[in-house]
Amino acid sequence: MNTDENQNLTNQIQALLIESLRVPPDQITPELAFGDLPQWDSMGHMEVMMALEAQFGVEINADTIAALISIPAIVAYIQENGHA
Amino acid sequence: MPEPTHTLEVTPSLPIPGFLTGEVQSKMAYVDEAILAARVAPSGELIKLTLTQEANPSRQAEIAAKVQRVVTSLVEGAMQPKIQVLEDELHRPVPYQVDPHPELLARGEISQEAQGIFSLGPLVTRLIDYFEKRFLELAAYFDAAPYRFPTLIPARYLERVNYFRAFPHSLTFATHLREDLDAIDHFAQHAACDEHGLNITLDSFSPIQTLLSPAVCYHLYFALADQPLPGEQVVATAVSNCFRYESTNLVSLERLWNFTMREVIFVGSKEFVLDNRETARLRMRQVFEEIGLAYRVESATDPFFIGEFRKQSVFQSAFQLKFEIRARLPFKDSTLAVGSYNYHQNFFGRHLNISLPDGTPAHTGCVAFGLERMAYAFLAQYGLDPQIWPAAMQEALR
Repeated sequence: MNTDENQNLTNQIQALLIESLRVPPDQITPELAFGDLPQWDSMGHMEVMMALEAQFGVEINADTIAALISIPAIVAYIQENGHA
Repeated sequence: MPEPTHTLEVTPSLPIPGFLTGEVQSKMAYVDEAILAARVAPSGELIKLTLTQEANPSRQAEIAAKVQRVVTSLVEGAMQPKIQVLEDELHRPVPYQVDPHPELLARGEISQEAQGIFSLGPLVTRLIDYFEKRFLELAAYFDAAPYRFPTLIPARYLERVNYFRAFPHSLTFATHLREDLDAIDHFAQHAACDEHGLNITLDSFSPIQTLLSPAVCYHLYFALADQPLPGEQVVATAVSNCFRYESTNLVSLERLWNFTMREVIFVGSKEFVLDNRETARLRMRQVFEEIGLAYRVESATDPFFIGEFRKQSVFQSAFQLKFEIRARLPFKDSTLAVGSYNYHQNFFGRHLNISLPDGTPAHTGCVAFGLERMAYAFLAQYGLDPQIWPAAMQEALR
């Protein structure tokens, strides 16, 4: 994946988090991680997981739930496993 | 308690998977006051309710609709948690196979004051003292600072850590008469108990500002709130009364409304909390071996209410936040959670603004032991005759 595609995917994930966590766009930075915002708590995390499943066909299981805890981790995982 | 006169069978709108039948069954207690007991068929395709009184068709439909709400909320999109077993001594041989509850009652070793509320006699008390001694040894290993916490907890504390959303069904509220001479005088003249309880209307009481505390460690986190953590880490220990209302699920000493919990609590970095949680588990493994307890340590989730159950339980499971010590109850081929090893990530650090020296939210965890359950599980495995108890315990209790 080239730099433009990577940036595009990061933008998509940031948009997904804005929607799932119901937060203003300026709070979603490219390096954001679980726990950085009050909205990205355990319930928010599961909202993010379900949105990833719906949008990218990611299989959500214990391993992915525990691993996908930052935007960079999500981007890397979708690059390997997702279906955008 | 009214005699059951009617049953109601409900076919769930979604088949209940095996890993959720117990959870759905326990939640039935909170569906409607008319439900006296509930049984979910092992197939997950039928829920049989025993009602306190006969229900007409419209009332049956009302109850069935509420049952379906619970089923849908718990089952739709549910993911089976991956159970991780850390220790398995479940089939350690034990000499007793009988429910100790009837004999404890007959001997006057326990007496029931109300549903879920028991007084304990000398045998159970000495047994609990013994377990307390072992738990205090664990606390001493960590040089845990001793604390004493109140039985009451402010409502605003529980609100701040989202307890009302997560566990509304198990809350126990505390109030008092309004500071009003007429209200107090009216109460003094007319208060009496009938089969429904105290016959005083709610407007005699003050708005609820406090509850009976459901946990021990929360009090420490609130004592540390809104300031940097003193030093890099804290280890504390306390024993307190805890209160979790469990309706018709309240059974013998297995499930009490008012119970006692000893906790060793860790606050600090993620590594500090997780390392100490693991150290505590390994040290307790030696204790359980010494007392011959048949048990297993496995991953578990908290009994969240229906609104949060599905997401929170999957989250807890995925991050391995909770491991329960489940002691065998030989008389019913089942297990009972007598303690747990818990990691809360930085949940309390974030919500209560407890910060580490680097400014990040503190992580917390605790190991918790239910004292009455510990005693009950031991008695279920070894009986009431100390002559057949493991030598280490006979010696200690002599």
